[in-house]
Amino acid sequence: MNRIKTFWKKGDPYILFTGAGLIFSLGMVLLMLGIIIFNGMDAFWPKNISEYQLKDGSKFLGEIWDTKKDYLLKPDSTYGVVEEVKVKTGNRDIYGSDFKWLYHKDIKTSNEPQEAVCFERWEYGNFYGFINAVSIFDKRYTFQNKDLIEKANEALAKTLDNRNKEENIEKKLNDLMRPLSEVQRELSLIDINENVNKIKVEKLNKKAEELQNKIEKAYTKLSNDLTKLKEEDSQIIVSVTIADGTNIDVPMSKVLRLYQPNKMSTISKSFFYVKKVWEFLIADPRESNTEGGVFPAIFGTVIMVLLMSIVVVPFGVAAAIYLNEYAKQGFLIRMIRLSVVNLAGVPSIVFGIFGLGFFIYIIGGTIDQLFFTSELPSPTFGTGGILWASLTLALLTLPVVVVATEEGLLAVPKENKQGALALGATKWQMIRKVVLPSIMPGILTGMILAISRGAGEVAPLMITGVVKLAPALPFDLSFPFLHLDRKFMHLGFHIYDVGFQSPNVEAALPMVYTTAFLLVLIVVTLNLVAIYFRNNLRNKYKSSTF
Amino acid sequence: MKINIEQALGKNVKVTDKKLVTVIRTNKVNFYYTRDKKTLDNINITISEKKVTAFIGPSGCGKSTLLRCFNRMNDLIPGIKMTGKIEIEGNDIYSPDVKLEDLRKKIGMVFQKSNPFPMTIWENVAFGPKVNGITSKSDLDEIVEFSLTQGDLWKEVKDRLNSSAMDLSGGQQQRLCIARALANKPDIILMDEPASSLDPISTNKIEETISELKNNYTIVIVTHNMQQAARVSEYTAFMMTGNIIEFNETSALFTNPKEKLTEDYITGRFG
Repeated sequence: MNRIKTFWKKGDPYILFTGAGLIFSLGMVLLMLGIIIFNGMDAFWPKNISEYQLKDGSKFLGEIWDTKKDYLLKPDSTYGVVEEVKVKTGNRDIYGSDFKWLYHKDIKTSNEPQEAVCFERWEYGNFYGFINAVSIFDKRYTFQNKDLIEKANEALAKTLDNRNKEENIEKKLNDLMRPLSEVQRELSLIDINENVNKIKVEKLNKKAEELQNKIEKAYTKLSNDLTKLKEEDSQIIVSVTIADGTNIDVPMSKVLRLYQPNKMSTISKSFFYVKKVWEFLIADPRESNTEGGVFPAIFGTVIMVLLMSIVVVPFGVAAAIYLNEYAKQGFLIRMIRLSVVNLAGVPSIVFGIFGLGFFIYIIGGTIDQLFFTSELPSPTFGTGGILWASLTLALLTLPVVVVATEEGLLAVPKENKQGALALGATKWQMIRKVVLPSIMPGILTGMILAISRGAGEVAPLMITGVVKLAPALPFDLSFPFLHLDRKFMHLGFHIYDVGFQSPNVEAALPMVYTTAFLLVLIVVTLNLVAIYFRNNLRNKYKSSTF
Repeated sequence: MKINIEQALGKNVKVTDKKLVTVIRTNKVNFYYTRDKKTLDNINITISEKKVTAFIGPSGCGKSTLLRCFNRMNDLIPGIKMTGKIEIEGNDIYSPDVKLEDLRKKIGMVFQKSNPFPMTIWENVAFGPKVNGITSKSDLDEIVEFSLTQGDLWKEVKDRLNSSAMDLSGGQQQRLCIARALANKPDIILMDEPASSLDPISTNKIEETISELKNNYTIVIVTHNMQQAARVSEYTAFMMTGNIIEFNETSALFTNPKEKLTEDYITGRFG
């Protein structure tokens, strides 16, 4: 009896309990990171292509994505267990879906044919098959040519080059047409109002005509170039034998990349992997975001977080300083402090609604009425945009900054404050020269927490300016460089959109994991940067040594 | 032995030496932290120019509170109340037209815990002159050197004025704080147990600094340490429960105390 008492008194079980709690929490975090990292890292590794021949004679070609046991309803209404393999057969435009489940018991043979090719296409996902022939203009290369794959690559290089040129021409055409379309827009606006002077309309019409004449020559030349390039594209074709033996003609201009994974060594696969990761980081998304890169989303996330920090830090610090240094401590201040802290517990969607109602409709609407009348009825600031999203998030993260700054303020030694005052400093001089430098680490801690919270928030952004696909980045080289009114893309929303809103969720799964991994990575990176600065400051202001 | 406090009360002693110039004069000063907690009770004391005056007494006797009344540091505490009059160089420092910043510029203060600001050594010393409007770098350099020399620290730090003050040792930090107070060219320096958190060697160094400073400044020092008071001060006030029990020349107070309470305290019978 006594021994049991001593056992409890000594506290060994509590060490066990607390330790178990820690291990559980850590374990869950590591598990989550592990799953995200494992699945995310795996996404770009080129998988081998397997060929399956089933007992009924049908053939399939594709990547193995999963194997599992499933329950199958037997004729006698009982369930039997079957093993099946999930094959990504691609060729969505032909088969209708990307995946096929094959029962193990149905498979007659399977092998990995060396010559199997994976075509990554701009649209409709991957295409698997064997190259049968390549035609470049009037030349045709067939399986008799030993370097058929090289010819195919040559053809691909040509179409990719053409694609670049086409994009350039289209951009030029757009630039060329812009002044004209602006005049036309102005005209259309005048037509809506009835009381207009005819002279203005005539003037605009004349201007439009002049512009049209001016650009006509260049326009014709550019469109001719474009047609010529398109024609060239249509003459570069690869004939592909798909699994069931039929030959399909694929215009090379639809292909983005082709490779033969079964032939690739681990080293070349690694190179391929790096190339894909790089593309993921810097390219625009394709195929309703399920393919390609996420660069606009990375960019949008970072810019939004930076804007948010720029807003929230000064306001939060100012509020905390007033609360702690100037305000007369009492019931009211206690209530205010409590409210600010509780603000952190308000569901983020509520902030989103507030952002929509206040920032966008009231403030944004007023700005439009005052400064962007020429654009109305289409809104400029009266609709979601990166500015409003950042402000909404700034509001959301304000309590975090206030609380962290207050903690910093409380840690400033009373002696230092009194010392400054005793030297004849005013209160503001004391705050600016002694208090503020000492609380910089605290402020940065607040910023770190705000960034972590803000970068991961999705719900309020969905109604304040995030879009699935933004036409332009919020920051570019055209004046005024930072376009606060623009809608933007965000990694968190990207994950939601690709994972749960895309038409082809299964094929997009690797993208979801990869993007999640990237989001974690960005948050960690932003934090590390802030922590680096904080530690530098801490070293600078480290407390006395005795 | 029973201590007759009643008898001791109200016998605040004035030093009336004609040759001395009075710098600080208090008149019936009462001080309350809260309404019913009287910390200073009818304090009347005069402090003379260019002398070191020490306040000694047991903890909670009000010696620090009295010291902080002289540069109005107590104003920072909410809920305090003070009555009576404190004159410094003939001016009532609690009159409404006194600018706090000007008053505190004239009266330097050194705290119990060394409190260098998280800046470089140079910036620490230049802090006071800077907030009081001196901007020229060469003027500031001159002040910094002068103050550090007076604070007996110049030799040790002249090569690393731009390193953090936090890297100095405890004793050096305290001397830096003294130098920082000197940089404002004050008339009076208040020291609130300046050596109580220092080792004996550092304490010794601080005491040497004080003895060098007393030729040019009026110094008021609060100390727990009676030997220290005996070593550095010329006048000593013994305080207890908010009253000045005895105020006299240090040598007289320690060798021939007039009050029983003083004798008990300095012989270590209580406190």
